[in-house]
Amino acid sequence: MNRSVQAHPFHLVEASPWPLAVSFSLLTTTLSGVMTFHGYSNGTFLLTLGLISTVATMTLWFKDVSREGTFQGHHTFAVQKGLTLGFVLFVVSEVFFFISIFWAFFHSSLAPTVELGAHWPPAGIQALNPWEVPLLNTVILLSSGATVTYAHHSLIQGNRAGVIYGLIATITLAVVFTGFQGFEYYNAPFTFSDGVYGSTFYMATGFHGLHVIIGTIFLTVGLFRVLSYHLTDHHHLGFETAILYWHFVDVVWLFLFISVYWWGS
Amino acid sequence: MFALRRAAVRAIATPRPTVVRPFSVLAGNVAHRDADSLIGPGAQPGTVPTDLEQATGLERLELLAKLEGKELFDMEPLNMTHLGTKQNPIVVKSMDTTRFVGCTGYPAESHDTIWLTVNKEHDFDRCPECGSVYKLDFQGSEDAHGHH
Repeated sequence: MNRSVQAHPFHLVEASPWPLAVSFSLLTTTLSGVMTFHGYSNGTFLLTLGLISTVATMTLWFKDVSREGTFQGHHTFAVQKGLTLGFVLFVVSEVFFFISIFWAFFHSSLAPTVELGAHWPPAGIQALNPWEVPLLNTVILLSSGATVTYAHHSLIQGNRAGVIYGLIATITLAVVFTGFQGFEYYNAPFTFSDGVYGSTFYMATGFHGLHVIIGTIFLTVGLFRVLSYHLTDHHHLGFETAILYWHFVDVVWLFLFISVYWWGS
Repeated sequence: MFALRRAAVRAIATPRPTVVRPFSVLAGNVAHRDADSLIGPGAQPGTVPTDLEQATGLERLELLAKLEGKELFDMEPLNMTHLGTKQNPIVVKSMDTTRFVGCTGYPAESHDTIWLTVNKEHDFDRCPECGSVYKLDFQGSEDAHGHH
């Protein structure tokens, strides 16, 4: 047999510096983030450094994975199956992450203590009106779910323009959503340190917002890989997992809107 | 996703002449392809590439094997057609000089899994529980040493 062909379909990865590099970048980012929030000197400088190195190592790691999958053909059927399973398990872990945050919210809000005035929202807290910006954001996120499905089906049908416009629409809606959330945060009449209402509200919506930003980056990587002709009509796992992630973020928002914004106000 | 992809492969199928082969580990002329056949033509500008236009390397070999109606890698468990004997052993195809076999007896699942190392150098390998005999059918090349 041909010696250049390996005898199994699995991808035995080579040594890579990126896991270690990303670990140190994230360590720098978290530590300097805390330094910044607590007013230590040079906190913002170190935070900037941490964010730049995180983005740089992410980019280089993604480049390696693209090269292995698209240009070297390491992503066989068996490898694609493993990557899909791995990502689905990651999303399951994310579901439990958000369950814990919702648990904290319901723990405090379902039977509010006397210190809160035995009332939710607690006495003195002016909650946001769910039928203004939060409702608009619900519409925006649901629409982005529709446009990302349009992009996906365009790709499967070989409609390049459809994928590109679909993805641009999705990413635009995502950025508008994040912008509106920033606007809400800026104008909110309560803060993170305004007792358990502020803590649970900003933990829940803040982590959701962070996931929206990550999902937007994920979809943007997909857009650039479509533009670079990396993705085929039936092999585009990174894009598919980005879509799965996006729908997950979408569903979390629906739960947030119903429980935290609507019921919780 | 995989179902879709398999359907796509089936749809393009323009069968190549099938080469008769002595074993099923590698598909037909796949093993003798040169490096050029591992690089597809790529997509026309402004179009979405298909798997067949774009795939390279091992992924392409898998696709080309599927076009011939074959699987590049035999991932199926050993078929226990009988209890292996020295005269009529269970033949274990392998690309390496050894292969691990988990014997569960005949019929399959008759006893707990017992792991055997079936070796090319051995005359035969026997399960200590049920006595089934296995014989390695070496399919690799002598000078290849499992470098990945």
